[in-house]
Amino acid sequence: MMSPKARREFGNFLFVAPYLCVFLWLLIWPLISGMGLSLFKADLFGGASFVGFENYSRLLQDPVFLQAVGNTFYFVALTVPALAIIPLFLALMLNRATRTAAFFRGVFFSSSVLSVTIVTLIWRMVLMSDGGFVANIIGFFGFDPIPFLSDPNLVMISMSIITVWWCLGLPMMLYLSALQQVPQDIYEAAALDNTPWWKQLTHITLPAISRTVVLVVIMQCVLQFQLFGQPQLITQGGPNGASRPIVLFIFEVGFRRWDIGYAAAASQILFAIILMVTLAQYFVASRREGRGR
Amino acid sequence: MNHSAKVGTGFAIGMAKQISGLLSLLRVSPTHRFAVPPPRKRGGMWMGVCLALGLAACSPQGDRTQITVQRIFGECRANVPKDQAPLRNPDGECEILTGLIDRFQRENPDIDLKVNVVAWPGYDQLSAQYAAGDPPDVVSIHMSSIPDYQVRGLIVPVTPYLDKAGIDAGAFTPAARQGVMVKDAAYGLPFDNWTQLWHINTGLFRQAGLMRGSEPILPHSPEELLAQARQFKQATGKPYLVQSMINERAAYTRNLYTYLMNQQAVFFKNPKQITLNTPEARRIVGLFKQIYDEGLTTRDQDYPAATQGFLNGQGGVYLGGTWLIGTYENEAQTRGQPLYESYTVKPYPALFGPKQTAYVDGHAWVVSDRKRSAAQDEAVSRFLKFLYDHNYDWSRTGHLPTVQSVAESDAYLNLPHRRDIVSLSHTGQTLPPEVQRQFAIQDIIGDELFSAITGHKTIEQALTDAERRANDLLFHLL
Repeated sequence: MMSPKARREFGNFLFVAPYLCVFLWLLIWPLISGMGLSLFKADLFGGASFVGFENYSRLLQDPVFLQAVGNTFYFVALTVPALAIIPLFLALMLNRATRTAAFFRGVFFSSSVLSVTIVTLIWRMVLMSDGGFVANIIGFFGFDPIPFLSDPNLVMISMSIITVWWCLGLPMMLYLSALQQVPQDIYEAAALDNTPWWKQLTHITLPAISRTVVLVVIMQCVLQFQLFGQPQLITQGGPNGASRPIVLFIFEVGFRRWDIGYAAAASQILFAIILMVTLAQYFVASRREGRGR
Repeated sequence: MNHSAKVGTGFAIGMAKQISGLLSLLRVSPTHRFAVPPPRKRGGMWMGVCLALGLAACSPQGDRTQITVQRIFGECRANVPKDQAPLRNPDGECEILTGLIDRFQRENPDIDLKVNVVAWPGYDQLSAQYAAGDPPDVVSIHMSSIPDYQVRGLIVPVTPYLDKAGIDAGAFTPAARQGVMVKDAAYGLPFDNWTQLWHINTGLFRQAGLMRGSEPILPHSPEELLAQARQFKQATGKPYLVQSMINERAAYTRNLYTYLMNQQAVFFKNPKQITLNTPEARRIVGLFKQIYDEGLTTRDQDYPAATQGFLNGQGGVYLGGTWLIGTYENEAQTRGQPLYESYTVKPYPALFGPKQTAYVDGHAWVVSDRKRSAAQDEAVSRFLKFLYDHNYDWSRTGHLPTVQSVAESDAYLNLPHRRDIVSLSHTGQTLPPEVQRQFAIQDIIGDELFSAITGHKTIEQALTDAERRANDLLFHLL
């Protein structure tokens, strides 16, 4: 016989049960089965044999995988700060009730609705050294074209530019919604005290939206560690493997080589990296917030 | 109304009555305190009719035998109205195949051909379909992918289907046979062979003094090639070669394979071991690197840019596939275009030895290993026979025919430039038929060759890395 409290709690559980079932079935179960798969030598059509941690030791000695890990960290380091800072300044400039601001909010958000295929088509036309938009402009001034997509030192920077252009809409909107939650009377008080704008920014605005900044940074880290479509469509990971991120490595190993045990092991490493980076940011942000109180 | 339609209608009405009855049972009692007015009887009946019609549509279609055909080559229905000639690009792959499939359906009303069009190369979808246990009955794949599916028992030999249709494997060209035969059994109906060719701008060649009469003067050694390329650049100010170099892997590997075969190098000593760091391979990569270093090739073009660049007269020779012949020939026939009356095409010249050969791949129709009725097997056999009978139509795309009698026919040889390339259907070579993951190996080698040619790695290092990576892949095959 259930107590009234237990019955009420069971009733509450029923409300979340549908989502929980889907979550367990489509997220947790694949995650666990992926972990299991990473311990097998297996191809797409069965024939698995247990190899323990051999796939992991192969990965740690595979220069292509290690290069992909390095490329991914480099890309995250290039894009996440840009995607945390540029949208913040856009949001600060566009946080006003004018038609011009509304127009530009739409303009800056518009790139986010494009699919990766369209984005890469556009940027291919911009960055191609042979007849691309940038090459034509600098050629007009008598300079040689810049090999954005064929120089290993430039290709990840090119991917970052493309990604920042594509992804800045959502963080900008998050910042805008956070800015609109900051009470106006604080700004009015600051204005009465003749507080300069940068002091308002550092002493009022940024502390007030700090939780959103943390959210944006964590969200962008998770997203950018999963870079795939841009290099897959523009460079196939080249030149010299310089634009091959971890997810492209997983795709190549899993779907081109059918070596899904090895691909699953690489996926687990990517999962662990994202989890650790996210938790580290969360704990750092939480401790700072705690000290602030 | 035919028999199957009558059966379908009767089934629909019967289902409608049953579903309507079920709905009336499910209706909420009017005594229930949250009850809403009961739905009108006619609404339930209509809902039942709709559901029944939906179910009837999913039921087998009586006396028509359904098989599923999956193909690449694009979607162009808007360009090829049903049962009409293409509105444009009549020699395009998509247009020809769409027309052929329409014609098969018209001539075989008892077969219901369900056609899936998938994006090139189509293997991700195919793998997913196999994993889900629902592969198509007949599917177009590359000959180089046949070993992957054959070794896992995912496709069946087509020999019984060909025998039933009265087709003998000896009717195919040598290059076609190499591509589909594994251990004396044919695992696919060869549809075409394709390879890389030298597409030549004869106008620029003439300007560079590299024409003898109406024929281009082609090199016979790496030294001759470099000398001609320098002469060409000096005379025209343009690079001798147009190549797709960005976002490209396959072309580098095909070049390497062709010139390794030209030197009669055995680079697959067994199907699970490739040897690449050899003097033969170093000579080839060294030549392409020198061409790159001296600016005798376009450098920063991807495939669309290079294809368009040759069309706009940006260089003398484009290393491109058989499928481009039609497009460039059309340009050569169009007054005012840069290629007007300035186009020819040749097989790769033998640069490193006397053996005239080329690496070839091709498209083949394979039959999946799944349960089929005798009627479905018969339909598969008739579809393969139809494709075999129309091999000439497909060869209009520029691909090499796979049927020997077509390759020797006047109809084929009178198509533009076919006399220049038809020898490849005899001299062309595929990789050994037991080599698996040829696409993945091609990507690995192409990746490393680009690094070597552009100077990001030494030739020695790139070939060592390519060999190591490819052998690692082959070693870990199940």
